Amino acid sequence: MLCQNCHQKEATVHLTQVVDGKTEKFHLCEECAAQKGIDIHAEPMDLGGMMEKLKDQLAHLKEEWVEPKAPAAGASVCPACGMTRTEILKKGRLGCDRCYEVFASEMLPVVVSLQHSDQHLGKVPKRSSDRMRNSVELARLRRELEKAVAGENYELAAKLRDQIRALPAEGGGS
Amino acid sequence: MSVRPAAARTPEEEAYREAYGIILSSRVRLARNLRGVPFPDKASPEVRADVRRRVMEAAREELPVQETLSGSSMLHRQELFEDHLISRHLLEGRPEAAICMDAARTRAVMINEEDHLRIQTLRPGLSLREAWSDANALDDALEKKLDYAFSSSLGYLTSCPTNVGTGMRASTMMHLPGLVLMGEMEPIANGLAKIGLTVRGRWGEGTAALGHMFQVSNQLTLGMPEDRIVADLEEIAKEIAGHERNARERLKRERRLFVEDLAARALGILASAKLMTAQEALERLSELRLGIALDLAKGIEMQKVDHLLLEVQPAHLQAAIGKPLAGEERDLERASRLRGELGRRPVKRLGKRTE
Repeated sequence: MLCQNCHQKEATVHLTQVVDGKTEKFHLCEECAAQKGIDIHAEPMDLGGMMEKLKDQLAHLKEEWVEPKAPAAGASVCPACGMTRTEILKKGRLGCDRCYEVFASEMLPVVVSLQHSDQHLGKVPKRSSDRMRNSVELARLRRELEKAVAGENYELAAKLRDQIRALPAEGGGS
Repeated sequence: MSVRPAAARTPEEEAYREAYGIILSSRVRLARNLRGVPFPDKASPEVRADVRRRVMEAAREELPVQETLSGSSMLHRQELFEDHLISRHLLEGRPEAAICMDAARTRAVMINEEDHLRIQTLRPGLSLREAWSDANALDDALEKKLDYAFSSSLGYLTSCPTNVGTGMRASTMMHLPGLVLMGEMEPIANGLAKIGLTVRGRWGEGTAALGHMFQVSNQLTLGMPEDRIVADLEEIAKEIAGHERNARERLKRERRLFVEDLAARALGILASAKLMTAQEALERLSELRLGIALDLAKGIEMQKVDHLLLEVQPAHLQAAIGKPLAGEERDLERASRLRGELGRRPVKRLGKRTE
């Protein structure tokens, strides 16, 4: 098969693209593919590489935080422990539990990029309030519900929905 | 190789190799902090001292062996470090730090490390679930007396955001000489990194894995319940162990002479050297351990080698002698002990025995 673009060389790059629900097929030679910006040496999805890239982005963000061009949102000093934003970014450590609230707007993206999550689904201290316990339980059930629906396990999904409704307050039940 | 008759493997030796041949131990640590108290790095000495007092008090019943590390000698701290009971930070001396342990030294809490509490539990072989269950129970007991920093979205709040959520780092210690010698360790380590696991050498910083010992642990601490983290890691550890077994079999089949030579040389050096650094001892013991696993080094029990892997480390060596030794004295003493444990019976013509 000849290249669709130059009609001269052998097509060695075969692509299927789905744009707005329409399937298009391309058959190109290497040169034409390169011209069109298709990287034929690209590997299949590389999660490690993605994380590396994200780390770079994060490093870039950090630099911006250290020297903010405009006054940044949120406080720059934690009133509980005296930790400053600059110090946190330099050391990569927070000063106390309150820092997580005080610097939430900066810390949350960091947590998400490091952990790929923003919701704790594990153990809850026994002495914490029912409200707190329920909120973690609710997050856990919602996640399981999503998975059940994605897996078309509707029986389980219905069960989980009932459990969510049964949770007081935030569960949304009457 | 030792010319001792190839003693039939005892059932005990068989069971030991099966249980600990590749996965030596499982460990769980939980990071916890006290609500409304600055994390150790940010706290004043008075606040840290108060944290230490409160945690030691809370842990007294479960962990009666308690030491403030400022009062102990470097050698003693080194020994705790080699036993994996304290971190490098605590070894180097952090202010107002302490360690609380049970008598068996399998459950412990470090105080004023990077976080107020670092709960740790250790189990032999592949038993992460049990290690988690131990840690969970210990955490429950402490939590009755301590109020933890916790948020319903981010879980247990820690000094470093890489630990937030469960605060849990679960790890298995694995002996992987087959994968290293077959050149397959790096792709495996890269693959593990992609699924959120970390592989580190047990001894030595960075990726330099002395003695083919690796620690495989979870990297992510948020967004998954603890039992999932532990179950996933356990599955992966089994899978790695399968690869290692496979690599060892191929080594024996395809490069038998090479491994046989490696193990024989290792034993030869261990059994006759006059000076032995800790590093060399760990390397040679690892090679010998591989030979034992492949039945190419007969008459030596794997358990003995595992015991020696700990005993040859500097602080354990000096503790056994009961006094501090300078560098070359240590190497002399280490070599002498190894000869005593692994040396051949004296051959008369070659003169007197060294022991």
